[in-house]
Amino acid sequence: MSEGSDEVVRVGEYIVLQRQSYTKLHKVSDHGTVMLGKDQIDIKSIIGKPLWTTYKMEPKKGSKRDFILAECDSAESLAEQLIKAVSSGVDNRNIFDDGNSQQLSTEEIISMRQEGMSGQDIVGQLVENSKTFRDKTEYSQEKYLKKKEKKYFEYVTIRKPTIRLIAQILYRQDSTKIMGLRMDTLSQISTAAGVQSQGTYLLYESGCQGLVAAALVNSLDEGGCLVHTHAGNIPQKQAILAMNFSEAQKSRLISVNIHSLLRKLHQLKDSIVNTVSDKDNQSSTCNGDHVMSQNSSESEQVVEVEMKLEKSVNISTESKNNNEEKVVNINENEDVQNDTNDRKRKHSDVEDSGPKKPRWELETERAALILKSQLADGLIVVAKEHPRNIFLALLEWVNPSRPFTVFCLCREPLMDLYVYLKSRNDVIALRLTESWLRTHQILPNRTHPDILMSGSGGYLLSGIVVRDTAVETVD
Amino acid sequence: MSFANYKSVIEQGDTVILYLSVNNMHAIKVEQRIKNKKNEMVENVFQTPYGALKVKSLIGQTFGSKVALSKGWAYVLHPTPELWTLTLPHRTQIIYTPDISIILFQLELKPGSVVLESGTGSGSLSHALIRCIKPHGHLYTFDFHAQRVEVARAEFEDHLVSEYVTVQQRDVCQTGFGPDVKGVADAVFLDLPHPWEAVPHAVEAMKEKGGRFVSFSPCIEQVQRTCEALAQQGFIELQTMECLQKELTVQTRAMSVLPLPDFSQPQHQQQPRGGGGGGVAGGERAAEGGEGGAREQCRFLTGVPPPSLPGHTGYLTAASLPPRWARTLRSPPQPLSA
Repeated sequence: MSEGSDEVVRVGEYIVLQRQSYTKLHKVSDHGTVMLGKDQIDIKSIIGKPLWTTYKMEPKKGSKRDFILAECDSAESLAEQLIKAVSSGVDNRNIFDDGNSQQLSTEEIISMRQEGMSGQDIVGQLVENSKTFRDKTEYSQEKYLKKKEKKYFEYVTIRKPTIRLIAQILYRQDSTKIMGLRMDTLSQISTAAGVQSQGTYLLYESGCQGLVAAALVNSLDEGGCLVHTHAGNIPQKQAILAMNFSEAQKSRLISVNIHSLLRKLHQLKDSIVNTVSDKDNQSSTCNGDHVMSQNSSESEQVVEVEMKLEKSVNISTESKNNNEEKVVNINENEDVQNDTNDRKRKHSDVEDSGPKKPRWELETERAALILKSQLADGLIVVAKEHPRNIFLALLEWVNPSRPFTVFCLCREPLMDLYVYLKSRNDVIALRLTESWLRTHQILPNRTHPDILMSGSGGYLLSGIVVRDTAVETVD
Repeated sequence: MSFANYKSVIEQGDTVILYLSVNNMHAIKVEQRIKNKKNEMVENVFQTPYGALKVKSLIGQTFGSKVALSKGWAYVLHPTPELWTLTLPHRTQIIYTPDISIILFQLELKPGSVVLESGTGSGSLSHALIRCIKPHGHLYTFDFHAQRVEVARAEFEDHLVSEYVTVQQRDVCQTGFGPDVKGVADAVFLDLPHPWEAVPHAVEAMKEKGGRFVSFSPCIEQVQRTCEALAQQGFIELQTMECLQKELTVQTRAMSVLPLPDFSQPQHQQQPRGGGGGGVAGGERAAEGGEGGAREQCRFLTGVPPPSLPGHTGYLTAASLPPRWARTLRSPPQPLSA
């Protein structure tokens, strides 16, 4: 990012707290505390300080697990310091697991902690009072210390959120909340969709906390645009918020309800049916049946949804409008006016051209006009729903010779879609892929694959949109 | 412009991808006439298994449309870094899209980033890097092989991306990345036989505020030495991974069901029941053949993994370099070589 002064902690922005290998996302507030495991940490002191600063957790007086943060130069690794001071054994032939090797009792250890002894000293005590520590091999000692260190590590580093860190955090916290979208698959989505900074991209995302949208917005620059469609009233945007995007970046993201967008697009299509460009004329005539049947089924859907919307509006106009406000981050002072305008318009015609349209409707129009005038340079579907109808509804708004990719945690829906797309003439280069990722422990004389690995990163169906025309005869 | 931005109509001088099938694509430069073996200018005709293509005929066509071959047809596609990776002329072993994806992601590239790459090789990764960082970022790419540097430079010019890239002949292990790129890089990528030798130079080339580092090595011994060098230079968050992409062939398959009577039923001889079908989710059963000899078939849609696939490409080692003021050098601390 070219924005210069983004390297300090500011209230209202997101940060990543890192305690050893554990990372956590947090939105900084004026008088905030953060829970790290069971420890409650007061982070007032970090506001205004540069990112990457490391702090030592110092216990608050009189409380067990409350800490304040004190700036320090660097985290000290006790494993490295202790290990040099202690002799070590050759192998484990003299070590027996009789449960008595640690002479300190649990109570003693807890009381040390409560007295405010530092983690480093506690681990020192643990080592001193271990009968077997000296007999362990050097490697085993290191492993033991690393394990203890994890528990007593008392340094926290403040980092700037990046897509990589956010993806890592969301995946580790609960991978089911991002549909098991693993880092490698997420990275493949970007390349499969050929995302470049000045293109226009069409995304449907659900069930991923905005992670894909955030990754795509992060790849855009001036002239680029992401139309982020979603079901329901509010898009999921945890990851988008966590990126602390600048105003310029936010302006490249248009989040719209997929029904509203499709309805608007088809309205536009109908109203300008006589003046459509060459390109569209051709594609609609040669798509023939598909387009027709799609249209009719879609408009039915739209009508249904509209009715549903209407109902919900009747029942809880207030909450609905509020939701819509949230979607588009409208200025709060417009609230009252819009509320009433909104209600009227809902019950009159959609084509009402009143002076003040609600923000969501303006955004929908903006997205529709962009797609109408230039079509998308890539289509990405990452859905918790069955991807087929979503993909097909959006496909016609993609330029020929542009890539698309569909993510699904299971392969069956993608296989269905694959078989159907094979029967169409407007997509080629179909590939159904699964990614495999393995991480490794790299240590002198102890290098091996990590003990745990993820079973699946989900599946991608990718391909390229082409013009469904007869061969252009040459000569 | 050819690679930098999408356009819709093919013009003279463009590079296009001729698509015959998923496994049969070719990058073609649209030129009306080319030199033949005897150094004479002749009409540019491209031969395919489906007949000849007069390259001249592509001019004026729209990307993504069908074009006629003398015995069939093909699609002409807009080039992308991914398609280029599949069609480029190999001068070296290249990095493929699954690894490229992870490299871009782990380098945390975005528009405006300054990234260093060594070696350039065949330029497979370079094109993807350029796409990530344009229009305001820059790629500095280095190779110690003079001819590769020349060819890569010509390719970048051809693809109209040379404003985003600087290609230099340089052995970065021996001489570093050079005075032009001290303290400018947000990210460094190494694909070298001895990447650990270039790690201190990478630190010099990176910005004060640090950045990201990725190295690609086929052998684990290279990874070990690189990790040692990285830790010594103050890199943190070292992570080594390997990634493979498996392509599944979607097929409808049929299995015959062996008729087995249900012996728990008293009248078992009347109703032969399929024993095998029950475990196949979503399978459709159909009786085949005439009466009496009816053989039950279970049909199902499946994704068949390839009988063989690349089992190893290389290890990717990623790391973060904190800002200079926040770095701790590991013992024994080694001063940067001046």
